[in-house]
Amino acid sequence: MLAKVASFGLKGIDGFQVDVETDVSNGLPKFDIVGLADTAIKEAKERVRTAIKNSGFEYPSKRITTNLAPADVKKEGSLYDLAIAISILATSGENGIKRHRDFVFLGELSFDGMIKKVRGVLPILISARKAGFKKFIVPKDNAVEAGFIEGIEVYPLSSLDECVKFLAGQLDVQKVDACSFENITLQREYPLDFANVKGQARAKRALEIAAAGGHNLLMIGPPGSGKSMLAKCFPSILPNLTFEEALEVTKIHSIAGELDLKTGIVATRPFRSPHHTATTVSLTGGGNNSRPGEISLAHNGVLFLDELPEYSRHTIETLRQPLEDGVITVARANATITYPANFTLIASMNPCPCGNFGSKDRECRCTPAQIHKYLSKLSGPIMDRIDIHVEVDNVSYSDLKSENKEESSASIKERVDKAREVQLRRFKNSKNFCNAKMSVPQTKKYCVLDEAGESLLRNAFEKLKLSARAHDRLLRVARTIADLEGEENILPSHIAEAIGYRSLDRKYWG
Amino acid sequence: MTEEEKLFLLLSQFEISNKKMEKILDELGDHISIDRFFKIKDLAKILGEELYANMQVCASEVRLRQYQRNLEESGITLLTIFSKSYPEKLAFLPDKPYFLFCKGDLSLLSKKSIAIVGSRMPSNYGRMMTDRFAGQLAQSGVVIVSGLAYGVDSIAHRKALEVGGKTIAVLGSGFNNIYPAEHQSLADTIAKDGLLISEYCPSMKATRYSFPQRNRIIAGLSDGVLITEAGIKSGTIHTKDFALDYGRELFAIPGNITSEKSQLPNDIIRSGQGECVLCVEDILSSLGMSKTEQPKKQMQLSFEEQEIVNLLSNGDFDIEYLSKNCNLRVNILNSCLTTLEIRGIIRRLPGEVYSLI
Repeated sequence: MLAKVASFGLKGIDGFQVDVETDVSNGLPKFDIVGLADTAIKEAKERVRTAIKNSGFEYPSKRITTNLAPADVKKEGSLYDLAIAISILATSGENGIKRHRDFVFLGELSFDGMIKKVRGVLPILISARKAGFKKFIVPKDNAVEAGFIEGIEVYPLSSLDECVKFLAGQLDVQKVDACSFENITLQREYPLDFANVKGQARAKRALEIAAAGGHNLLMIGPPGSGKSMLAKCFPSILPNLTFEEALEVTKIHSIAGELDLKTGIVATRPFRSPHHTATTVSLTGGGNNSRPGEISLAHNGVLFLDELPEYSRHTIETLRQPLEDGVITVARANATITYPANFTLIASMNPCPCGNFGSKDRECRCTPAQIHKYLSKLSGPIMDRIDIHVEVDNVSYSDLKSENKEESSASIKERVDKAREVQLRRFKNSKNFCNAKMSVPQTKKYCVLDEAGESLLRNAFEKLKLSARAHDRLLRVARTIADLEGEENILPSHIAEAIGYRSLDRKYWG
Repeated sequence: MTEEEKLFLLLSQFEISNKKMEKILDELGDHISIDRFFKIKDLAKILGEELYANMQVCASEVRLRQYQRNLEESGITLLTIFSKSYPEKLAFLPDKPYFLFCKGDLSLLSKKSIAIVGSRMPSNYGRMMTDRFAGQLAQSGVVIVSGLAYGVDSIAHRKALEVGGKTIAVLGSGFNNIYPAEHQSLADTIAKDGLLISEYCPSMKATRYSFPQRNRIIAGLSDGVLITEAGIKSGTIHTKDFALDYGRELFAIPGNITSEKSQLPNDIIRSGQGECVLCVEDILSSLGMSKTEQPKKQMQLSFEEQEIVNLLSNGDFDIEYLSKNCNLRVNILNSCLTTLEIRGIIRRLPGEVYSLI
């Protein structure tokens, strides 16, 4: 007796079809699962057997063999439990199960027969829809995230018993209502607002420019100067996520199992701040049961690396490809997976090991060699990808207590949005969509300086001894400043401001 | 190559104390040659067995020629106390260096010069003062002597080069082992536009004692020593002591009495060891020189720039203070600051502090 039902597995951020075939035949009672299954699936035997028994069904005391096809692709996770259970129950034909070939099954089973939530439902549904599947049975907990996809019928179920009755046509289940994205967008809320940050006008301006042009930014300042606070406010001035972007982000978060199951979708730009002890794999993704890493979770949002020089050099170097291409390709023995990783890098660091170099009220006790060593932990290639450096100093007590009204994130965001619109028009026919990602020919084309600007830049390089690598970065930042000001051309004042954001290129360090 | 040159080429490769050198030269008398040198009675005892053995190996004609060629190819001139170009200022010192490796413009050795020395980690005040005095002295034609170290030393060298003046860097190591290695490019520039000096042969590495030793040359080579900023335990104290021993003028720039980094110059002023310097004329007059007036900069400032300059004329302020106390939008402020900096009206210091030049 043979039964076959459909399920889906995950590879990278896409789903692939897995057919669960079960054969029940006479012989010694035994249950085997074949088809490159990992430990979580092997253990499904026990969950499935117990769940069937405890749901009041009869578990065949025969030789059971389940195959997960295609048999040559590695499969992992607990999301095949439901499909396996249904395929076993369907073989006997005694439970009235008729419609099992119409559905795709996703879900983990608990011993009492409940269907538990699984990760990656959204990307699986998207892939399955593309593959032509129309009807799905998913865990009730995953219902909300399933509701964002139109043109499919999703039935959220909470137990194996319910599922069997539903397949036998004895139970009516309300399919998930398609929920529109607009309702969700209204709930965009960021925990921190720039209105709460006193002072730091220059740092705020730098962050505004970074948000407007998608530039990576490095903050340099003594401990306690508010670098992390500023960084945490940063997502609140980024442009809203579009539906497509939100879906992409949600897909990744769904796979990582980090989705908020109440809202079901990530509507705000993610902000990830991995600790500096983070391993390379936790940042890039991959690993034993391939999951997206921190940089992918920061996709379309912000990756904040606090105390940048404290991260292991190797870890930092792995950021080079994603910073350039917006994706990370993780090659492992059994698979090569590409995760999207298009993020804005906000980093912070102390100016020296003790943190007080250049501080106005505390004395630095580091030797020049120590400072030099500290700064040299930042490799050239990474520094090449950071457009804006800004120094942040401690805010005095009187400033902290002052009643001065600071500009709110919302009003900064308005300017950012305008500047982004200009860029979207500019880059209509090209792959990138912000100034920071301009290619060299594009920089040549769009960052034209007049004579005054040109001579200012030349003077700056000579007088301030900027390093050559700063040149194109400067132009791109100046372009963004011009966009923020609503200017068609880059004016000398824009160049001048951009030059102010190259602290680390100055020779006064060490 | 004369016999005399050969011997000096040989000796210059080794570190031999002044005492031993004197003894050797005494023994040799007027007949200076390698043959005579090795015939000196008890030479091995004077030099020590190891050094003696090493010297015998290096004394071959081929080796010496190779060494001479290496020096020539690197553009290094070897001065001995008998050379014509050997600086007069050093010649009468009790512990004068017997050999000087030089790279660059030897004529600088006889010019009026001031050593500017101080902390390797100056405060913003120290940076500014070093910058100011080095610039104005160099512009007035004084050669700036210093030690190529971090901090005050390198600031003084750089400023002198920047204003088109002359500078001498005295190393505590051989030319092939510039310390700190970071200053290699600065050393190259000085060799090109100024003069690089070391008493150690090019392959020598810096040691703990070579820096205090170097300080005696700095003090000896200059007509006066200016200490801009240094702590009471700083190595600058050696330079100060040498300057006093050699009868050089000592100048000190006063600082806040609360500032640890101004302790040494303040102490010098209090004890009367040196002169309190308030402006560059104080130094120039004691050298018998006068200040070369620089043509006044055309200061055409925009309204916004004027506002910033007015604020900064009350002292140095950081960006936070400026943005609060002038009625400029932060983007305008940022761009004005950069423009002013490029025009050489203000300068930016670590911590985004700005000051008038």
